[in-house]
Amino acid sequence: MSEGAPISLSFRTESILTAPPPPELIALIGEHPTVVKLRALVERVAPSDVTVLITGESGTGKEVVARAIHESSPRRSRPFIPVNCAAIPHDLLESEMFGHQRGAFSGAAGARAGLFTAASLGTIFLDEIGEMPASLQAKLLRVLEDGVVRAVGADRGVKLDVRVIAASNANLAELVSRGAFREDLFYRLQVVPIMIPPLRDRRSDIPLLVNYFLERCRARRAIPTPRPSDATMVQLWSYDWPGNVRELENLVERLVILCDGDIIEPVLLPPNLFKVTVNGTAPIDDIPAILGDKGVDLNAIVRKLEGRLINQALQQVGGNKQAAARLLGLKRTTFAAKLRRCGVLAPPESDLT
Amino acid sequence: MEQPAESRGRIMVVDDDPDTVAVLSHYLRREGFTPVEAGSGADCIRILADVGPVDVILLDLMMPDMDGFAVCRALKRNPVTAEIPIIMVTARDDLDARTEGIRQGISDFLAKPVLRKQLGNRIIAQLDIVEAAKVAAQALDRLSRGKAAP
Repeated sequence: MSEGAPISLSFRTESILTAPPPPELIALIGEHPTVVKLRALVERVAPSDVTVLITGESGTGKEVVARAIHESSPRRSRPFIPVNCAAIPHDLLESEMFGHQRGAFSGAAGARAGLFTAASLGTIFLDEIGEMPASLQAKLLRVLEDGVVRAVGADRGVKLDVRVIAASNANLAELVSRGAFREDLFYRLQVVPIMIPPLRDRRSDIPLLVNYFLERCRARRAIPTPRPSDATMVQLWSYDWPGNVRELENLVERLVILCDGDIIEPVLLPPNLFKVTVNGTAPIDDIPAILGDKGVDLNAIVRKLEGRLINQALQQVGGNKQAAARLLGLKRTTFAAKLRRCGVLAPPESDLT
Repeated sequence: MEQPAESRGRIMVVDDDPDTVAVLSHYLRREGFTPVEAGSGADCIRILADVGPVDVILLDLMMPDMDGFAVCRALKRNPVTAEIPIIMVTARDDLDARTEGIRQGISDFLAKPVLRKQLGNRIIAQLDIVEAAKVAAQALDRLSRGKAAP
């Protein structure tokens, strides 16, 4: 995992002088073959006007990709308007998006332009598109087809030039098959699909991302930054990252602040990194979740689990037995007895390097 | 190597212990995958050369003659096999093995003893990300040919 490999984050732009710097494309940092292909796709699709559908779990950086597409397009000097379809109440979403005439509904005291009008000649980013109510899906489809936006209460529509980038963290195809999302709109949006994989599916990029974030901290603060020990890296690698790249980015920044030496040891990692997760990736993953045909040795499993948790507790509190007992909700004497019985090992950081 | 039409993917199992290979193959078949069996590292490389690539490789670390790392190095050197996801099967607490595996660019680890649910999840994760690459490549191809719509 070479940290020296340069990561090309900027897109080729025709007029570098007038363009704002492209945002850091942290969603697409990596050497995984899929990520390399996605970077090529984003570069290729940016200069055109085609509609793009970005899918990915939360924290994978969908909005960052959308902004990067906008910033690398000829529309870069025009507005980029992000709209979170899930955050705006359904009954307000239509007038927010398309505007309304005076008196269109009670409370519409004056005419108001919508977000589509605000995005004119630029890009509108429709996040959480799967949350859009059915009535509005039909209206959006018409906008995509003829480019005409009609405000609520207006007799006629106005032709607008807006590029649409949509995003969803739900599997839209699944919503379509359940009848919760219009099939025709789905295909109209999915002219170019960009599927950002969850970080746990491309673990091989984790060391590179960690080094990238560390390097960025170093550059920003102009101070030496610590580096993770092998054990820390293995732990970061093994975690499932439900919050994806954003979670990793936040954690690395926190570790830089917490660490006062040259090496980031596992003891600095937050407890959730040691938890069992949906995919059973975390350290206690050899404890069976299912009772197989051959059965299990329950006592052995319980001992193992106890040992692990005791180890973790000791690790977290730097070996202080009283604090570790508190962390486990045990009396100090009970804890000491368990410690003797389990023959708990030294905290993992001691057998490093 | 016939592959039923409905197979979820060709998964190669590389292990010098025939019982392990049999158990994993049995499970994979039951889950709708097509197992491809290899009894050693050399076997793995020979089969890949003979019958073409598979979708995911489950590679045991501890094998006589050619261990998992040697197999991994050989596969990564060959452009035909370099992008096949490798899931390495190691002892859970083997920090050195995991560190070395990460350096060698393996895609994931599975802890011994292998749990069924985990095995399925890890394989599907690798199939998913390969699928995402295919979707991206197809979109690129369409754009290059100047045809946006699918």
